[in-house]
Amino acid sequence: MKALWSWLLELCDLPTMPTVEEGVRALTGGGLEIEGLTDLGGGFSGVVVAQVVAKRPHPDSTKLTLVDVITAKDGPATQVVCGAPNVPEPGRKVLWARPGATLPGGITLATKPVKGIDSPGMLCAEDELGLGDDHAGIVVLDADDPTALGAPAQRALGVDDWLLDVNVPANRGDCLGHEGLARELAALLGGRLVQHDVSADLVELASELRAADLVELAIDDAAACPRYVGRIVDGVTVGPSPRRFAQRLRAVGVRPISNLVDVTNYVLFELGQPLHAFDWHRLAAPPRIGVRRATAGERLTTLDGNDRALEPGDLVITDGSGPIALAGVMGGQATEVTAATSRILLESASFEARSIRRTARRLGLLSEASQRFERGVDPALADRAAARAAVLLARLGGGKIAVGLADHDRRPPARPPVPLRLARAQMLTGTALTTASCEDALARLGCTATADGDGRWLVSPPSARADLLREVDLIEDVLRVVGYGEVPATLPPLTAAPRPLTSTIADRARRALAAAGLTEAITFGFQAPARLEALGLPVDDRRAQPIAVRNPMSIDQAIMRTSLVPNLLAAIARNLSFGLPDVALFEVGSVFLRADGQPATGEPTALADEPTHAAIVLHGSRPRRFGAAEPWDAFDAKGFALALARALGAGDVAVAAAAAVPYLHPGVGAAITVGGVVVGHLGEVHPDVRARFGIDGPVYLAELDLGRFAEPGPVQMRPVPRFPASSRDVSLLLPEAVPAAEVEAVIAGAAEALLERVALAEEYRDAEKLGPDKKSQLWSITYRAPDRTLTDAEIERAHEGIVARLTAHLPAARR
Amino acid sequence: MDTTPTDALISQLDRLAGEFAAAIAPLDDEQAMRATQAQFLGKKGQVSAVMKELGKLPLADRPRVGEAANRVKDAIAAAVDARLAALADARRAADLARKVDLTLPARPVATGHLHLLTQVRFELVDIFAELGFAVAEGPQIETDWHTFEALAIPKDHPARDMQDTFYVADEIVLRTHTSPVQIRTMQAHPPPIRIVAPGVVYRRDDDATHSPMFSQIEGLVVDRGIRFSDLKGVLTHFANRFFGGSGGLDVRFRPSYFPFVEPGVEVDFTCAFCRGKGCRLCKGTGWIEIGGAGMVDPDVFAAVGIDSEVYTGFAFGMGIERMAMLRHNVSDIKLYYEGDLRFLRQF
Repeated sequence: MKALWSWLLELCDLPTMPTVEEGVRALTGGGLEIEGLTDLGGGFSGVVVAQVVAKRPHPDSTKLTLVDVITAKDGPATQVVCGAPNVPEPGRKVLWARPGATLPGGITLATKPVKGIDSPGMLCAEDELGLGDDHAGIVVLDADDPTALGAPAQRALGVDDWLLDVNVPANRGDCLGHEGLARELAALLGGRLVQHDVSADLVELASELRAADLVELAIDDAAACPRYVGRIVDGVTVGPSPRRFAQRLRAVGVRPISNLVDVTNYVLFELGQPLHAFDWHRLAAPPRIGVRRATAGERLTTLDGNDRALEPGDLVITDGSGPIALAGVMGGQATEVTAATSRILLESASFEARSIRRTARRLGLLSEASQRFERGVDPALADRAAARAAVLLARLGGGKIAVGLADHDRRPPARPPVPLRLARAQMLTGTALTTASCEDALARLGCTATADGDGRWLVSPPSARADLLREVDLIEDVLRVVGYGEVPATLPPLTAAPRPLTSTIADRARRALAAAGLTEAITFGFQAPARLEALGLPVDDRRAQPIAVRNPMSIDQAIMRTSLVPNLLAAIARNLSFGLPDVALFEVGSVFLRADGQPATGEPTALADEPTHAAIVLHGSRPRRFGAAEPWDAFDAKGFALALARALGAGDVAVAAAAAVPYLHPGVGAAITVGGVVVGHLGEVHPDVRARFGIDGPVYLAELDLGRFAEPGPVQMRPVPRFPASSRDVSLLLPEAVPAAEVEAVIAGAAEALLERVALAEEYRDAEKLGPDKKSQLWSITYRAPDRTLTDAEIERAHEGIVARLTAHLPAARR
Repeated sequence: MDTTPTDALISQLDRLAGEFAAAIAPLDDEQAMRATQAQFLGKKGQVSAVMKELGKLPLADRPRVGEAANRVKDAIAAAVDARLAALADARRAADLARKVDLTLPARPVATGHLHLLTQVRFELVDIFAELGFAVAEGPQIETDWHTFEALAIPKDHPARDMQDTFYVADEIVLRTHTSPVQIRTMQAHPPPIRIVAPGVVYRRDDDATHSPMFSQIEGLVVDRGIRFSDLKGVLTHFANRFFGGSGGLDVRFRPSYFPFVEPGVEVDFTCAFCRGKGCRLCKGTGWIEIGGAGMVDPDVFAAVGIDSEVYTGFAFGMGIERMAMLRHNVSDIKLYYEGDLRFLRQF
């Protein structure tokens, strides 16, 4: 909401005149943040009001005039050269930029010859002062302009003023007009609101006509339209508004159009009540005004010339013949005020906020009016605003006001007073409020407070304050007036709150992976569908059935991620584009899967499963000192995955061959299991997949579903060995197809009590010596007893047993 | 002068000592030296061979020869010791002569990086844990009811404009704030409640200071007798712990409107960078806007079945990116989410 400081002061009676800075501080401190403060006349200086005392043609030019001006009554006259065609007759006032004056654009005036005659400065047009675009001629003040000679031009132009850009909270629709803001300012500065009393003007300007004879209201829907006031102003003449009146509108962002239209906007900004002026002669005769929901198929051409299809939810104004306006949003073209208008039906009404909001949003018509109706307009304002506007119309348009008004008044009954307890206010705020401070605050806010026993009041807020419904609302407002600076800082007493169970697994995973040397990335929860498709998942895979965002900001954010992998691959590609060849990243975060029983496509009807995943991607080389690159490989991914699983407290972690993962290389992929249950995968990203992300060179990844890990209990100590261990090696010749894990499993399965540890010591291939598709592995097996030093004989017996088991269970030969 | 056989034997023995010294002179390892020593002193060694002649000598001469033999043995042992000592000295000297250019690059020890937002979140949670707050969480894809309705933001409420929402279905949204965690916590636990809820949220907003996904931390305290002043005290503690250094930062409340709190406030901290004097960061005001807060609205308590006459509470919400931006001078919110190692590795 844009507000003018002068307009606010006009509506306030304050104990002392505040500076604009004091006003801004008070309003901001009261919750109406001033987001901008503009000095309207700040664009120029040194321009003064001067009176023309004589004029004559320039001797050497037909277009130039020599004008004598004075800046004090009976003061010396100065001759200025002027090129404008509209130099007024002596007696009228103009604006003189004297030598030394500055104008917008950094121009500084001096005395300069114009066609041979010195001109000390110049007489100004509007556009030269940065106000409006009128360059048809110099500014000539109205004949009755009261500004003193020599006064700054700002005063005469109505720009010796400040424009406040007020951020009005959503619940304070009452502050979308100067009156509401003035009520706040008065409350905060200890003054009172001033309202225009137009009753005398109504009598003075009354015509012989009676409103009741000229308009009839037939409104059934009290919920949609609780109040509708119509007034008739007759005999008006369309013309431009007075300069300062138009200047106010221009300052708050409304283009002046004509006196009749400008009045409706002026009152809207003054009181917050949207108004509409119909040309009475263009309405059905006699107009029978109704408010109803549009019916399907109805159309209306609005003021902006658009022919609009109406929908059944839209509220329309009718005149007996059909829709003439979209209630609260925009008037109809067929009944708008034109240059020929002489009689006006003025509409001052309130409409249901929700309907206005829906219609305005659907049609993209967020007008000054609709914005106010959306937040709620006080129905008590309608007749006051109509009267104020009628008087202004009659004054500015030279007309008369029909006696009386058409009033559909179906306001809900006045709200019952709200009880307020001093003790509750003190407790809730923790602030030293007193009976006196509460009563003072309530009075300043315009509330009527009646004592209701000791430390209790029954409070009736002003009708404009529809937000003051409950005790807590009153407590807030009392505290606002007292000042939030009065609230002390205390700490709540410590009580043992039950500890909600929040898993710490995700954060344990983050710490473990960072400790392992990886860098954490956080990527968006949504992603581009193409990135998911690049993984090549089959359609029946849950991850290929993402939940779509209905209204994404771009296609890149159109679906919720079902895997961390695509965003991480994209991050690799981005780092490559930055010239970083080595990328090792991890992310721990939620993925979003359709809940069990939900359809595979379309909008879900239930919340998603949101398991937390961890993913690691490696591309390029390991960190190294210098010299030859040491490329990452799949065993790095495995190492990180195992380190993570162990950090999460999983005991029985293994990596096993698994069904092919579509986005992994068919020969370089495996499952990660905990206790035999698959918890994730690792391997090399399929070359086709990484190519789709623009990555040239292998990528290794590991991904784990952290939901499969339980919060570990405290680690239990195992006895530290007291007797020495002994190792024996066995060298095996094996077919290529036998995985290492199988050899390990055969050894571990030997039920040998002395067996402590198995490790692969060497592996080599040599087609000539070993034969094709063969490999030689040297396994080192460690034996130990907890209670004695083993004898050679014991070790030999155990070791030979295991070797025999290996050759029996595997196509293995001892070498 | 004729030499007696005894004298000849003795001089033979003495000669062996010299021969041994010559034999080990070129050797530089102990093992070879010991082998040479065995050749001289072993059972089949040269000294033994000489001593086999002893039986042929007159008895009276034998002690002299025995002395000579012992002298030779001692000489050989001393020669070995001296040679070994010399070798050890040489090795040590050679070792100490080594020079390494330690200005060459280090062998990298892999040091990973937690994301700046993770580090800041850990710190925030730790600070609130000091005041007895536990951590709570909730889903990111959330019901309209938990996100809005239960927080006193019915459909068509103007406050919905404040948070432009991503929809997944009519009644399912991407949560626009962490406040639905308040609702879930109050539904699951009777008071007293004292939680913080960090998490990511989504809004249709994208510019230099807004990201369509960002993170918040929400706080909620519900108990008997919780006061507005307690909110100020808790946030003052937080401000000083997170930004304060030497302390002395104040919290300023400005009235504001959030439907789920009443009174509702915007919270400002004394600018920690200029200590309130006014600087570029606080745009000369001396204050930094840090989040929204207020007393839990009775309508919210009603939605979760808590009696607002018995219990009161406060809630607050702050943007984690903003706090990290302020403290670490991060220039653009987008940097957090691009996976750019040049950014991530700085923290």
